Amino acid sequence: MSAFQRGGFRPFRGGEEDSPAPLPADANEKTEFVFARLRYPSQRYGGYWGFRGSWATDYPKADRQFLQGVRRLTRIHTRSVEQVVDLDGEEIFKHPWVYAVEVGHWNLGDAQARKLREYLLRGGFLMVDDFHGTWEWDIFMASLSRVFPDRPVVEIEGPDAIFHVLYDLDERFQVPGIMMFRTGRTFEQDGIEPRWRGVYDDRGRIMVAICHNMDLGDAWEWADWPRYPERCASLAYRIGINYIIYAMVH
Amino acid sequence: MFEILFKYPWTVFEKGRLVLLSGAPLWLLAALLAAGGAALGAQVWRRSRSGRVVMSWPRAGAIWLLQTALIALLLALLWRPAVSIATLKPQQNMVAVLVDDSRSMSIREGSATRLEQAAAVLRNSLLEDLKKKFQVRLYSFGKGLQRIETLEALEGKAPASRIGDNLKTIAAEAGSLPVGAVVLLSDGSDNTGGISLETIAEIRRRRIPVHSVGIGTEQLERDIEIREAALPSRALADSRLSAVVTFRHRGYADRKARLVVRESGKALASQEITLRGGDARQTEAILFNAGIAGPKSLEVAIEPLEGEEHRGNNSLTRLVHVESRKARILYLEGEPRWEMKFIRRAAEEDRSLLLASILRTTENKTYRQGIANPKELEEGFPARPEELFGFQGLIVGSVEAAYFTPAQQELIGQFVDQRGGGVLFLAGRSALADGGYARSALAELLPVTLPERKGTFAREEAGVELTSAGRASILCRLEERAQNNAERWKKLPALADHQDAGAPKPGAVVLAELTAAGGRRMPLLAVQNYGRGRTAVLATGGTWRWQMLQDHTDQSHEMFWRQLLRWLVAEAPGQVSGSTPRGVLSDETGVSLQAEIKDRSFRPVADARVEARILGPGGSAEVVELNPAPEEPGRYAAAWAAERPGSYLAEILAKRGEEEVGRDVLMFLREDGVAENFRTEQNRELLTKLAEQTGGRYWRPEQARRLAEEISYSEAGVSVRETRELWNMPVVFMLILAMRAAEWLLRRKWGAV
Repeated sequence: MSAFQRGGFRPFRGGEEDSPAPLPADANEKTEFVFARLRYPSQRYGGYWGFRGSWATDYPKADRQFLQGVRRLTRIHTRSVEQVVDLDGEEIFKHPWVYAVEVGHWNLGDAQARKLREYLLRGGFLMVDDFHGTWEWDIFMASLSRVFPDRPVVEIEGPDAIFHVLYDLDERFQVPGIMMFRTGRTFEQDGIEPRWRGVYDDRGRIMVAICHNMDLGDAWEWADWPRYPERCASLAYRIGINYIIYAMVH
Repeated sequence: MFEILFKYPWTVFEKGRLVLLSGAPLWLLAALLAAGGAALGAQVWRRSRSGRVVMSWPRAGAIWLLQTALIALLLALLWRPAVSIATLKPQQNMVAVLVDDSRSMSIREGSATRLEQAAAVLRNSLLEDLKKKFQVRLYSFGKGLQRIETLEALEGKAPASRIGDNLKTIAAEAGSLPVGAVVLLSDGSDNTGGISLETIAEIRRRRIPVHSVGIGTEQLERDIEIREAALPSRALADSRLSAVVTFRHRGYADRKARLVVRESGKALASQEITLRGGDARQTEAILFNAGIAGPKSLEVAIEPLEGEEHRGNNSLTRLVHVESRKARILYLEGEPRWEMKFIRRAAEEDRSLLLASILRTTENKTYRQGIANPKELEEGFPARPEELFGFQGLIVGSVEAAYFTPAQQELIGQFVDQRGGGVLFLAGRSALADGGYARSALAELLPVTLPERKGTFAREEAGVELTSAGRASILCRLEERAQNNAERWKKLPALADHQDAGAPKPGAVVLAELTAAGGRRMPLLAVQNYGRGRTAVLATGGTWRWQMLQDHTDQSHEMFWRQLLRWLVAEAPGQVSGSTPRGVLSDETGVSLQAEIKDRSFRPVADARVEARILGPGGSAEVVELNPAPEEPGRYAAAWAAERPGSYLAEILAKRGEEEVGRDVLMFLREDGVAENFRTEQNRELLTKLAEQTGGRYWRPEQARRLAEEISYSEAGVSVRETRELWNMPVVFMLILAMRAAEWLLRRKWGAV
């Protein structure tokens, strides 16, 4: 327990696991990088509680499976398991990279929006993923505009370093979620075109990387499922890794 | 009184030689003395036994002693004792009277200026007395020596006083003139900082006694005087600089005063100081921002206090060249780390720093940032001097020592030692001892002796605290005031990790320590000079917590890193490095321009054409060629005269054929008359030493009447040796009477008359 208190893995005991995965033996290793998953209040289910919140989508299997790739493919010293953080305490500031999923349902309070803004201005990096179409975009923006009322969301252009920091991601395509096997479409709702967008700081560095109309989390989660297309899983890994390395050097 | 008793002044005895004029042998004197003593002894013994009163042995001995002493004295007089002394021939010798005519002599003390005091000494018979015996030449002196006819010619306006140089001139004149002595009336304020041994030797060789008459108060009652203000001669734009000011004060113990740095009258920094008691010098440091690039003339001052007797010595001017160059630093990182992100961010805020980096993202790939062109660092860490030496600083992150080839390790050593660059070693799981540095060639560069074990890096939080050296260092200054700064360091968020960097090497300085779990303290930041460069170890990769765990407006992290990076590169020279031994020319014109020229591998360039384009006051411009210094390849020098007072800026430009090797800028200041405002108290020490070393004497003004007589006894000029007999000195007769009287009184007392 004392190891947890000094910065090791602290399991989330909210019972909201969407996709259970075994806890690796080295879960308590102290590392440079920790995959921080943002636990936020969602509009869909109200608050954190009740049926699982949308923050926990694909959790924790997607996180842990992605981290295996990060370990194998890069020199990043990363923990094998994620860390759930929220915007109510100070823990998030010890994790300068944080991942939020299904933000088309998030609903940040004013205090949480202020904290997220402070986190980003200090140098934190937020990657959001797995939300689709106009309706979810609007919900996403409703909270983001409280975080940054004064900063525009812009398209991340191809030459941006985030697409080249490790892998050259000039040829990007829509990474579908597992829903594709039920609907037969790579997109969800009216989110036909995958969009890589961002919020930049005053020095042209991305603070918020927005993966709209794609589901990288599913690709990480289902990368070991033979039916899920390897090229989609591969791109999802590459994007995720690029985003982490970008956040660690920019 | 002395002269009444001994007939002659003390100088006669001091300078003369005792001689016996009778010519009779000394052994005869000794024999007669022994015989007389024995005869008297026998007589005293006989009488003491046969008389009416029997004297004890001690009493008889006392009587015998008095009688023998009298006999001895009379015998000595028969041998005709005398003093042989050299004296100047009347009216055949010249006495040079030098009166200090510098501005410090215009200081008013009581009702008269120092110059008026000096004139009064001369008028109150000294000059007349001298003229009775000698040819007198009157001079006024400041920077140079000037013959004057009357005291009215003295003005007290000379911008400087050079006692040594002017005495040298007099000594040179003594080759053709019979200079018997020099009388110097001065406050001893010599702007060249003293009198050279060469000058003293020349005066001694010519046996010219210098008699100094000290004018002016020896200790002001209420005054503050800045003695020195030490600032770097060059700095990067926006640098935080420290002016270390040394001063002394009289009569203001425990008073508050204000220390200020101004540029063109505008205060850049101001700080309240407390004046300590006692006579000791006090040193205070004041921080200020160097501002934008360009030549700066900065005034460092202590605001005058009420009742201060002399205010012209409260400030000094110093020149600082704020360079427009951007220093390049190469950062090699072996793995993606948060520290790198935040170091980059801190450096990006700094207009004077350019941070290029190589990051090992995977086993076989690197990611470059801040490169000058797409080809730069394409092959990874530089293997050639011309590639690495283009940087002024190097940061080695969490990367194993073995990642560098032996040749690259040697190159890093040369980067510091010969090129003069700075290297910072960070902690990490592949850094320092855990990275195998203890047994690598790079261990030599480190300011610490690394532990001979692995497992020194821990991802455990650690607190930080400044050492006493760190509290004094500008490198660690996050707050203007030292006390606030130390407190701020204590309140910094804990580091994310730390590493045992071992013990500091002799000569290294530990500026900050970390406190690990269990309270163990270890060096956090250690620095040292190494060869022409400098190296440092920062035993953590977790200062990024200072950024992430404090408000985004807090600048602790950025300031620390910018200052550390600037420290790393501040002294790294370019290929052309200009210098001058003295940045401030006080009342002189000669300036020595020097330059070191190196090629891109920082090897000396012996075949360069080097010139200095000098811009002076009023827009004057001149081009001076610097010539190669003999037997010092790569060094060039020229002597030049700064004809007008003011600031000068010299751009040193070196070419090889048509190719420019590089350029550098240096500044110097010629200020006239400023030094006269300093050290205004009478420098009695200098005047006394000068007199003692030349055979003269230091005189207070009220004693100076006797000077004319004393000067007569000199071997300089045209002199004769005189013999002064001593037998008729009043003291001799008084002694004889005293001895006889004493014997008689004793005999009466003991009843033996």
